[in-house]
Amino acid sequence: MRDYHEFIEEVLVNETTIDERVAELGAQISRDYTGEELLIVCLLRGGITFTADLTRHLTIPHTLDCMSLSSYGVGHYASSGNVRVNLDLMTNIEGLNVLLVEDIVDSGRTLAHVLQMLKTREPKSLRVCVLLDKKYRREVPVVVDYVGFDVPDKYVFGYGIDIDEHYRHLPFIASADLSKYRKEA
Amino acid sequence: MQDYKDFLGEILIDEQSLQNRIKELAAEISRDYQGKDLLLICILRGGIVFLVDLMRHITVPLQVDFMAVSSYGAGARQSGGSVRLSLDLKTDIRSKDVLLVEDIVDSGNTIAYVLEFLQTRQPRSLRICALLDKEERRETTIPIYYRGFSIPNKFVFGYGLDLDEYYRNLPFIAVVDLEKYNPSD
Repeated sequence: MRDYHEFIEEVLVNETTIDERVAELGAQISRDYTGEELLIVCLLRGGITFTADLTRHLTIPHTLDCMSLSSYGVGHYASSGNVRVNLDLMTNIEGLNVLLVEDIVDSGRTLAHVLQMLKTREPKSLRVCVLLDKKYRREVPVVVDYVGFDVPDKYVFGYGIDIDEHYRHLPFIASADLSKYRKEA
Repeated sequence: MQDYKDFLGEILIDEQSLQNRIKELAAEISRDYQGKDLLLICILRGGIVFLVDLMRHITVPLQVDFMAVSSYGAGARQSGGSVRLSLDLKTDIRSKDVLLVEDIVDSGNTIAYVLEFLQTRQPRSLRICALLDKEERRETTIPIYYRGFSIPNKFVFGYGLDLDEYYRNLPFIAVVDLEKYNPSD
């Protein structure tokens, strides 16, 4: 386990800026769903911190459910392979307003798969809220309704996002210098 | 959907007290796990908010993983009997220092099962960190190593704990006035 100071490039979004933006998103979502039934779906594991903070800024009634997905493809999550559902929703979403909460969208492949799958269950509405949008990496078109921050095509970590399963607990979002990260400690 | 103020008995633990105590727990954990290989395990869905706030204050390296359990019998998770694992850990916990992070320990039946199950995988250490301890309800002995608050045998909600799936997002722990609570409203 490396200390992140050894490979951090820069803090892209600091704690205060995240808090403020998450509060804004919470207010916006509360306005948009006033008078509606809302189900928040947290995509594990990266989405937990964002979900826990975002929902605390919601002023409207809502329920919470979680999904865990992985890719059938080799290598990283963002591969082109199909999506495997490790943990499905407990909630039947037919007729519900569903808001998918995700930490980051890059190629959009996983998200596109999940959206397609959930649509077959006929929710009343289905939207996406992501904290970080890595637009330049998009390979498939996917509509993201609420975006926290646009981020450059860098290797990011913190605030729920891991590098090799570590550093999720850091309260800010930073970019890693991969050449330094990979260098043996 | 009732406004929680319609059936709020009392606020048992306010936001500031929760956050202060969580910081203390995190400091204690950070001291105890210096140089260890810490893995936090969260049992979905109630424990997410506590997990997220707790891990942000932990200063030692850590990993996070999730489990989802449900009961084979009808009724609630606390009902006893066998427990079905609906989402298993992604991480092999052998030789890891595992800390099970729970929102509340009630009868202790579910957690007893989970502990026994995790023990078979031979972690280096296995401890429980529970935000709330409702000891009066205990039906089996559970060693709680890190305890947030001991609470009376009352129906509580907020800070991850739901009432019929709602109100998880409230930043405090409150007691329900059951005479005023009407879930069909």
